[in-house]
Amino acid sequence: MSFRRVLAVFAGILPASLVAVIVFLAVYSWPAVRFNGVGFVTSSTWNLGNTYGSPILRDGVQVLPGAHYGILFLVAGTLLSTLLALVIAVPVGVGAAIFLAEAVPGQLRLWLSFLVELLAAVPSVVFGLWGYAVLIPLLGHTIFPIMQRLLGFVPFLGGPTGSGYGLLTAGIVLSLMIVPLIAATLRDAILAEPMVVRESAAALGATKFETVWKVVLPGVRKILIGVTILATGRALGETMAVLMVSGNALNYLPPNIYSPISTMAAFIVSQLDSALQDPTGLAVRSLAEVALMLSVISVGVNTLARLVLYRAGLKDARV
Amino acid sequence: MTPKIAIHGLDFYYGANHALKSITLDFPERQVSALIGPSGCGKSTLLRCLNRMYDLYPGQHATGEVMMDGMNVIGPGVDVDLLRSRVGMVFQKPTPFPMSIRENIAFGVRLHERPSRAEMEERVEWSLTRAALWDEVKDRLHTPATGLSGGQQQRLCIARTIAVRPEVILFDEPTSALDPISTLKVEELIDELKRDFTIAMVTHNMQQAARVADQVAFFYLGEMVEVASATTMFTAPREKRTQDYITGRFG
Amino acid sequence: MSGAALTGEEAPFPQREAARLGRMRRRRMQSLLGWGLCALGFGLLAFAMGWILLLVLLRGISALTPKVFLEVTQGTGGGLLNAIEGTLLIGAGSMLLAVPLGVAAGMYAAQFKHSWFASAIRFMADVLVGVPSIVLGYFGYITMVEGLGWQFSLAAACITIAILCLPYICRTTELALSQVPAAMQEAAFALGAGEGRVAWRIALPVAMPGILTGVLLAFAISVGETAPLIYTAGWSSYLWNGQLVRSPVGYLTYAIWAFINEPFASANALAYAAALLVTLIVLLISIAARLVLLRRQGAR
Repeated sequence: MSFRRVLAVFAGILPASLVAVIVFLAVYSWPAVRFNGVGFVTSSTWNLGNTYGSPILRDGVQVLPGAHYGILFLVAGTLLSTLLALVIAVPVGVGAAIFLAEAVPGQLRLWLSFLVELLAAVPSVVFGLWGYAVLIPLLGHTIFPIMQRLLGFVPFLGGPTGSGYGLLTAGIVLSLMIVPLIAATLRDAILAEPMVVRESAAALGATKFETVWKVVLPGVRKILIGVTILATGRALGETMAVLMVSGNALNYLPPNIYSPISTMAAFIVSQLDSALQDPTGLAVRSLAEVALMLSVISVGVNTLARLVLYRAGLKDARV
Repeated sequence: MTPKIAIHGLDFYYGANHALKSITLDFPERQVSALIGPSGCGKSTLLRCLNRMYDLYPGQHATGEVMMDGMNVIGPGVDVDLLRSRVGMVFQKPTPFPMSIRENIAFGVRLHERPSRAEMEERVEWSLTRAALWDEVKDRLHTPATGLSGGQQQRLCIARTIAVRPEVILFDEPTSALDPISTLKVEELIDELKRDFTIAMVTHNMQQAARVADQVAFFYLGEMVEVASATTMFTAPREKRTQDYITGRFG
Repeated sequence: MSGAALTGEEAPFPQREAARLGRMRRRRMQSLLGWGLCALGFGLLAFAMGWILLLVLLRGISALTPKVFLEVTQGTGGGLLNAIEGTLLIGAGSMLLAVPLGVAAGMYAAQFKHSWFASAIRFMADVLVGVPSIVLGYFGYITMVEGLGWQFSLAAACITIAILCLPYICRTTELALSQVPAAMQEAAFALGAGEGRVAWRIALPVAMPGILTGVLLAFAISVGETAPLIYTAGWSSYLWNGQLVRSPVGYLTYAIWAFINEPFASANALAYAAALLVTLIVLLISIAARLVLLRRQGAR
């Protein structure tokens, strides 16, 4: 065999494993997909049924009496926490990127940028630890009650503030985890914009900030869009940190921004033990359906992000 | 007549590199002054002193006098951004901003003024007309400027510059990236613009200097060798170095 | 900032200039405000980073006793020797699998960059990076832990983490190889060297620092991962018994997650000690990788 063939065989494992992940999850969860139908995403009840009852046959699938699987509350928790994370992370990331690229001179920029990259390297569970030990007491005891008193008239900002575990806390932690990706990618893009564009804006009498904000930033907007989508993908699938700060709500749609939630990713971790109680295995397969949905969504989101970034000329986006 | 800009004893440094040596030169009002000379002779550097473009780069500095209406442009306390609204600049390569044609013009105007919508439309049309671009783009003002041809982009950059209503316009080799037809259009434009603006132009192209300039200054190794009217410069230069250059013996 | 020099009586359009000067003052304020907000953005980031590090360092150091390194976990106390060992085993095992496969993928993508398969590898790697790690963990659970009957085991953990790390190694390898000067490779081809020889003897050695950086970062990821391991490695309070399958292993990130929720001070201390170890390993590797990159850039 030629070198190229041998290399291709080894190299092929990478794409093969991605395909395998999706195919295995699809095959394994198929009975659950059939049993759960559309109700899976439109109802908010995750109920294993009577685990002491004897399984009955429904739609050709062995199920426990009373079993019903609906994850609308997870979809809501996932989307809302991601949305909050983006609302915080995009402005902070853009600001930090501009600051690093334009306001700081060479050597210092290197060091400060490095700080941002280190934040990206901090493991998810350490963010979770910080959220659990620091953020939750602070938010739950102090900040949330103040927010509720001052801004309670705004929809979703009033009502009970709970213990600190919940949607907003998850959004804040998630935003810290995706901000480095946005800031670092955007900083590189800003630095790569040609000097002559800045000179042109300066030649019209624009201040340095006006130049950056009104001319350089629009020039990298495609990269900003692409990396925002990429960050969305990260936030959607983030597990440990969310698991530790979200409150792991079950069958419950959040009435306000402080209330406990759960996300699809965190739910898979928190529910496996209890799913194993189902002798028919349908609960475990339904969890696989959650994983399948999550992987399909993340493949879709990442594909979109990469297409946008490739088209913006960024072939080697940081991974 | 007093010159629009009077340079006296101007020195310029890129770090330790002495790039302009004691230049003294006048730019007559509403005339085209061309700066010629081989690459690296300092002619572009001189241009970048007139609007303090070098301020963008740490380590570059100028000393001496660049007097414009009684103010030393390179002196301390000058509001550089306001200065640049009076001294516009057109670059070698067209640099349309990543926005629509209309927005490219409006960007500069909005920096300095608060025009009403109608005034802005008027200004856009006026500047595009002056840049001989209006007829070509009037139906697509809201399309991205990057969709224009190279020659059109350069005229858009000229329109963008005059829309701010400067008094002086600097052209840094404005046609070196253009095809011959676009070059001709830009040259005609410069000739037309000098009715209202004082123009300083760097060019590599001697014919171009001969065609559009009223006054020509020859630079060599950071020094200004000779300045004369275009006719004198190209028919009877005083210095041997000038003669060698314009007859193509070097550079 | 003074602009008075531009507004004297001798100015050509005195009224216009005065208006522009007034506007300029406003614009400067706006610009200043803009810079302030940008600095605030960075400040928030740096503040959070400092806070997280400080928490882990302070609480971690006070929890870091010799016992942590010398004893295995006993209930909610004891040490973390089992977890340290497990983390290193999982890291080493997954690198053993991921490095050859990831480097091969990156090499293919770089050396045959115009082929459709190279584009497919590149694209799939970028997408695989985005697949949540918990999904890979669940995949490992249903295929290996359940399907193959391996139960919670080192093998299931290593294979799962290897899949997770593949795209990182692939992309950094590709990047490093693509920076090898084409002329260098063409010279070798001109001497009659085959594709394989050029790749192994010319391109790979030149790109080695870049590839090593990628491997280091992938190792750091394996040390910091939690979610996929919960489903594949399980947890064990004992040292590794040499079994690849049917024997769970402990790891540091589990200790963080599980022990912080325990109501015992000894358990919480272990969680912070584990957090300190994990954070130190990950950050030191990141710094080392960055230094390798910087030295290469300096050498060029």
